[in-house]
Amino acid sequence: MDERQVIEAREVWKIFGERAEEALRAVRQDGLHKAEVLERFGAVVAVRDVDFAVEKGEIFCIMGLSGSGKSTLVRHINRLIQPTHGQILVNGQDMGALSAEELRALRASRIGMVFQNMALLPHRTVRDNIAFALELRNTDPFTCHQSANGLLETVGLAGYGDAMPSELSGGMQQRVGLARALAADPDILLMDEPFSALDPLIRRGLQDEFLVLSRTMDKTTVFITHDLDEAMRLGSRIGIMRDGEMVQIGTPEDIILHPKDGYVADFVQGLSRLKLVFAHRIMERPEIYDKSHGNLADADTWPQAHPKADLNSLVSLIVGQQCPIAIRDNGKLAGIVTKDALLKGIQG
Amino acid sequence: MKVHAPGGQDGGQATAPPDNSDSLASFKEFAGPRGDRYGRTFLRIQQAKLPGYHLNTSALIGGFLWAALRGNWPLFWIGFAADMVAAVNMALVHKYDLAAVQAAADGKDFLVQRYDGWSDAHLQAALILFFAGRLLLGWLADRLYYHHYTRWRINRSLPSGQTIKRLGVGMLAVLLVAPLTIYRASQFAPDQRSCIKLAHMIQDGEQVPLKDRFDCWTISEFPTLVWLQRPPQYSFPRNDDGTRSIVVKEPSSQRPVNLNNWLSEHIDQGIGYMKAFYGWLFDGVTRWIRVLLNAVEAVFVGTPWIVTSLMLVMAAVKLAGSRMGVFTAAVLIYMMLFGFWQTAMSTISLTVAATVICVVAGLPLGIWVAKSKVGAAVVTPALDIMQTIPSFVYLLPAVAFFSVGKPPGILATVIFAMPPMVRLTALGIQHVPASTKEAALAFGASPRQLLLKVELPLALPSIMAGVNQVVMLSLSMVVIAAIIGAGGMGFIVVDALARTQVGRGILAGIGIALIAMMIDRVVQKANRM
Repeated sequence: MDERQVIEAREVWKIFGERAEEALRAVRQDGLHKAEVLERFGAVVAVRDVDFAVEKGEIFCIMGLSGSGKSTLVRHINRLIQPTHGQILVNGQDMGALSAEELRALRASRIGMVFQNMALLPHRTVRDNIAFALELRNTDPFTCHQSANGLLETVGLAGYGDAMPSELSGGMQQRVGLARALAADPDILLMDEPFSALDPLIRRGLQDEFLVLSRTMDKTTVFITHDLDEAMRLGSRIGIMRDGEMVQIGTPEDIILHPKDGYVADFVQGLSRLKLVFAHRIMERPEIYDKSHGNLADADTWPQAHPKADLNSLVSLIVGQQCPIAIRDNGKLAGIVTKDALLKGIQG
Repeated sequence: MKVHAPGGQDGGQATAPPDNSDSLASFKEFAGPRGDRYGRTFLRIQQAKLPGYHLNTSALIGGFLWAALRGNWPLFWIGFAADMVAAVNMALVHKYDLAAVQAAADGKDFLVQRYDGWSDAHLQAALILFFAGRLLLGWLADRLYYHHYTRWRINRSLPSGQTIKRLGVGMLAVLLVAPLTIYRASQFAPDQRSCIKLAHMIQDGEQVPLKDRFDCWTISEFPTLVWLQRPPQYSFPRNDDGTRSIVVKEPSSQRPVNLNNWLSEHIDQGIGYMKAFYGWLFDGVTRWIRVLLNAVEAVFVGTPWIVTSLMLVMAAVKLAGSRMGVFTAAVLIYMMLFGFWQTAMSTISLTVAATVICVVAGLPLGIWVAKSKVGAAVVTPALDIMQTIPSFVYLLPAVAFFSVGKPPGILATVIFAMPPMVRLTALGIQHVPASTKEAALAFGASPRQLLLKVELPLALPSIMAGVNQVVMLSLSMVVIAAIIGAGGMGFIVVDALARTQVGRGILAGIGIALIAMMIDRVVQKANRM
């Protein structure tokens, strides 16, 4: 097994309904559609034969419209939902094989979770909410108090420890939710549409803060969202779900440049590529450029960029210039980006 | 039909009357025979032009038979009921005329006069009812028939037109209802006692006139269908060594008894058996209630009035603010001035004891109902029954098993007052948002931690509402329990009722109301603060 894989899902199926087992057999044999299963067995196929692996330290975004099974899928990771079929491995440990007590210990210490509707406990102060996971493991009140105060500072809510959740705005409440998930210092964060209920400006701010936090804290994150922009901004890799199936898994750039089918293509169509596509995808090899233009010798006088520079930075470089951009990797000329190529790249 | 350009002159209605052939066709299709006549009438109803005096002559003359023909059953029953009551009155006229003749033959003049008077009154009633009923039917007929039509337009399977078959159905209903009803009105019906005597005579093999037997079966009370062997009499005397033995005696009479007597004797014997052989159980319950009550009474009754009243006022101020403190003081002063202090404190003690038992038993039950399907399936029907039974009826089993006094009074109160505690606890727990519970589970909460740290705290407002209800219900039941010797303020009321001492009863009643208001306000305010 790959040491770097923190979470691994193998052939996970989830079918809701009294006749789930029966339905599962029929679906696997005859490949029924969702509607057929509902009609024949009164069962709902929520997750359909999903495989994925999340590596240490990455943010794995699961993107899909409502009803695509993404929230159901993420609940399998900490076994809030039992799969009808398949396995979930966390750090190589089969979640299905854990006893109730082991499972509780794992949830309390290794896996933090943030919810779309915050789900804070309204009768507890912000500080007691954050320390909830610690308290459940019978940590002494002093330690709870101290670590909660530390986390309040981390999420930028220092001084709000004695407030009640109802006194905070939505954005602040979700910061508390994040702090609560971080309280037990878990390696894994499950984020179930954490920013969906917030208004766009606050969402933007929290996304940025979360990016910074996750880089510094080195957590492995599974991030659920229905917002492709959000997935592209945050995700190291993205899994796109439809009707319970994982349609495509890849880096944001992969998905935008090589959508696997029409469904994904429709999704990414309207998306701005400025920050998602990089120079090495659109550059021409120097020798090919030289054949058509013949002025490669002037390359040193042109604007210079790295192959990993996004289109946005290339636009800034080329505005007002007559010449193309030279792309250099470690000083070696790797390619040329002309104005035409750049415009084509932005258009997609 | 003319089509007017938008914004044109609005003379369309005046020059060309609106086309109503569609409506008329539909009316005729519905009405069938005499469609033209009903079509015109319905059109006038639709246009709100039907005069107030409009009558349907067919309905006026034909009565409920017209309604049956047309398949309008509401009208059928209205017409039939009016005619039926008129007929019953006519039968009564006949009955009293015969009775008057009989009385004249017996030479009882005062009876003749009375019967003649009744006969006249019933005759007038019969005539008025008959004619008023027919008029009403004639007036309603077309109006309700139109309503019938509008429903038929929505649902074509409703009866329409007129068929002879429906007349047959109507006649069948008349045949089932009318003869016996009219016969009952024309006869002096035998009472239940004479029918039982008749049954005994039949059992003894005597000859009985057929008419008497028929009357007892049809126009008296419901006849006794089942005659059962009278059960033997059991008693459970105590032996010298303290054990009980069962003694069976032959029943006092060999005559069979009806179902009611038979079953109630069996129930009596069952209770007697339980008390004789499981008395320790009931005695144990009684003792524990007694212990609890003694502890509570030591606080309220056993403490000098100065201390108790001061404590109560201070508690009210602390729990519900100074205004409630003043009100509490006023209530307590009323009790002292009118000499109700001891009895009021006794009532409060009973209430507190009952409340304590309700909360201690109701909270776990409520949690069980919320958490377990079995719990809900077992407890919910029991609660439904407990809340449907009138409070008076609770006293019976309490007295049967626990005899009279304060403990059975508290027991009856507990059964009466507990349902809201169980229900509201369950409700509060069930209404904890699923997302909140999920969050707690996601952070590794055990079922116990989930209950204690999430569900119960979130259900607390609902639980406190339950406690408030329990207190109020306990107070009301404690007063009623005075009938079985629970004492307190209720006893004064019961006693005053028995001796028709209205004034004393009213003063005590006001006292009870004041105590109820005091407790209710303080508990409610305390919940809110």
